[in-house]
Amino acid sequence: MAVVCGLIAYPQAVSKVPFLYDRFNKLKINLGLDLQGGFHLEYKADVSNIEPSKVAEAMQGAQTVIERRVNAFGVGEPLVQVSKSGEENRIVVELPGIKDIEEAKAKIKDAPLLEFKEEGPVDPQIQQMFDQSNAQAKEKAQKILDEVKKDGDFAQLAKDNSEDPGSKDNGGDLDFAKKGAFVPEFDKILFESKLKPNEVYKDLVETEFGWHIIKFIESRGEGDTLEVHGAHILFAKKDPSQYEQFKYQATGLTGKNLKSASAQYSQGQGLGEPEVSLQFDDEGTKLFAELTKKNLGKQIAIFLDGELQIAPTVQVEITNGQAVITGNYTFKEAKDIADRLNQGALPVPLTLVGQQSVEATLGADSLKSILIAGGIGLTAVIVFMLIFYRFLGLVASLALLIYTVMMITIFKLTGITLTLSGVAGFVLSIGMAVDANILIFERTKEEIRGGRTIANSLEEGFKRAWTSIRDGNISSLLTAGILYLMGTGFVKGFAAALFIGVVVSMFTAVVITRTMLKVIISDWIHGRTWLVGVNKKSIKE
Amino acid sequence: MINIISKTKYAYIFSGVLSLLCILSLATWGLKYDIDFTGGTRMVVKFANEVPAKDAVSETLKDLNLKSLTMQGLENNSMVIRYASEDDKTNVDVWKALNGKYTDATQSSVDFFNSSVSGELKSKSVSALALAIMAIMAYIAWAFRKVSRPVESWKYGAGAVIALAHDILITTGVFSLLGHFYGIEIGIPFIAALLTILGFSVHDTIVVYDRVRENLLRSSNKVPFPEVVNQSLNETLVRSINTSLTVLITLLAIYLFGGAAIKHFALALLVGIGFGTYSSIFIATALLVTSYELTIKYKK
Repeated sequence: MAVVCGLIAYPQAVSKVPFLYDRFNKLKINLGLDLQGGFHLEYKADVSNIEPSKVAEAMQGAQTVIERRVNAFGVGEPLVQVSKSGEENRIVVELPGIKDIEEAKAKIKDAPLLEFKEEGPVDPQIQQMFDQSNAQAKEKAQKILDEVKKDGDFAQLAKDNSEDPGSKDNGGDLDFAKKGAFVPEFDKILFESKLKPNEVYKDLVETEFGWHIIKFIESRGEGDTLEVHGAHILFAKKDPSQYEQFKYQATGLTGKNLKSASAQYSQGQGLGEPEVSLQFDDEGTKLFAELTKKNLGKQIAIFLDGELQIAPTVQVEITNGQAVITGNYTFKEAKDIADRLNQGALPVPLTLVGQQSVEATLGADSLKSILIAGGIGLTAVIVFMLIFYRFLGLVASLALLIYTVMMITIFKLTGITLTLSGVAGFVLSIGMAVDANILIFERTKEEIRGGRTIANSLEEGFKRAWTSIRDGNISSLLTAGILYLMGTGFVKGFAAALFIGVVVSMFTAVVITRTMLKVIISDWIHGRTWLVGVNKKSIKE
Repeated sequence: MINIISKTKYAYIFSGVLSLLCILSLATWGLKYDIDFTGGTRMVVKFANEVPAKDAVSETLKDLNLKSLTMQGLENNSMVIRYASEDDKTNVDVWKALNGKYTDATQSSVDFFNSSVSGELKSKSVSALALAIMAIMAYIAWAFRKVSRPVESWKYGAGAVIALAHDILITTGVFSLLGHFYGIEIGIPFIAALLTILGFSVHDTIVVYDRVRENLLRSSNKVPFPEVVNQSLNETLVRSINTSLTVLITLLAIYLFGGAAIKHFALALLVGIGFGTYSSIFIATALLVTSYELTIKYKK
């Protein structure tokens, strides 16, 4: 078994025998992203617009789109996974062997987000948010009005507070205007309330734009030529329908229902506008038909990457699953959009929430240094064992080498990913692997000092040290297990290596050492206690 | 035979003073958390020739108004830049600004944790630590359920747990000092180190306690308990020191040669396992004897 393990770990040994070499050389250790370079990205999906029952489907759609995109890189073996963390839906992307981190990220981010939305009632929560902010605006308006009334500088206050970009810099001055130039509520104050020159109207005036503080400056002309020179300070009122993202509500129809897209010129007389033509899949066709039927005479908005492209009014129910997006594109822009859509459009918006990336050469450097550290560590432990336990140490060192080889074999065969922390855990486990040997050998030394023969003492040592080895290792396995369950990359790699290391080392340090010693030790060693590091004088007669 | 138990007083004083210092350091300076716990970005940038001055780099990034921006030079022309960030746009902007000025520079590694991810890591770490401590306590209680003469089995458990708390406290305290004076930050690797220390320290303590148990069963009632403990300690002393030494050797190798990415992790393990061995020899067993002596006194 040891020989097979050796070959798997170090195939160069049989490089002269091509048949065997090929077979063993094919097995490679699966190196982690931090050692071969690559990145781990975690995206949060915003599924607030999607019905709970359809979330899983949408996440799968997003996974497929990203998979298609990263496969296009053609390097390494990408991994795209949907995961759930508490309430959040996440997508994890792992790409090995990437040189340019930002470029690769941009490619993924480039996946378009295509959404079809319909007009709908505003979410009460959002409405409440707007109401609150409007109430605040009104309060502020009242405060400023009070200040104006208390001889405040109208022009300066307008400059500082007005939300009318056209007039604020002139101190709210609106110049001369005829009746009808303003909204009726505003007109009424200026033309009918009989204000004296430079008088400020006593109340706030509410219009569709918000709350105004109105000042009558002067008037000229009469009858039809009457013109009033006024000024105002505006505190704007905000309404959800001013915002595309609040005006339209999500429908079930998204980028995942897209079959294909192409750029074309719109049909009609002369050369039409460049546009993107969409063809839905079966489900999308059905959804689109329902949607157009339901919204006859109303708008359907098409959002690309969260931006409203076009919101045409539905004229007829569309049952052939075709739609077009126009948006003042050049033909090239239309073609780019179509290309991006053809590579797959995301059904849900994604935001990057976590990233770990290592450039390939840094990964290679890390690997080199940790391997050097491992080699030095291994050698130092062997030297230590030889000094303290002489012949027994030699056997333990052999067992330790077998341990190392077996560990490499296990990593190669199981395909467990070996990260930097994993190698560190492995190196650390080399130090721990001899623990059982030390326990046994110390016990053996004691028994020899107690007057037993070497062979007997060894037997006794193995037997008596076993409970300690078992109990001690259980605690190590416990913590390694918990570490593994804790689950982040760094910890997981380390814990896995440590866990496997503890289990394998129990085997090599106890079973293999024992077997080797049984074979080697016979009468010849009798009395040669210096071989096991015991001073003859310390032996009880 | 060395009479270790008679030196208990000194071990208590030493550990007491050290623990006090650690608590003081933790209370005044606290710990410096890395971005895995606070959220933010850590970007390692490799420059073509030499690392530019920190001032020049922060000047380049001035317009981005980065919060808690820190910079630190590394070996081989690299610099690690840390800053608070909530979305990826910040990272893209930072790199654009840097690459615009230092066109030959490359990004060696970028780690970014949004606050939702870092919050999750934090709570995961806390629950892992809590889980590990509970599991180990349960295990100790189980392992020593049979020993009850002359010290009740729960006292073994308590002794092991106090020794553990001691190791964890000192390791955390040392990193609080390192954080204050050398800016060493603690993140997920530190938690992993703490958990490993937990496992290892208990491992050590169990081996000593195991021997106490064995000797108690073998010895007649006439041998005083402190003597049994001292004999057990002496018998396991070489083993305790040797097994720790082999582990410390490999850790030292990782610390010295294993590269920057893993250095502080190895350091945390070195400190924790070093003190873990000390505490299983001098604290855990000494506590058994002290509690035994206290019971006798109380009975009289």
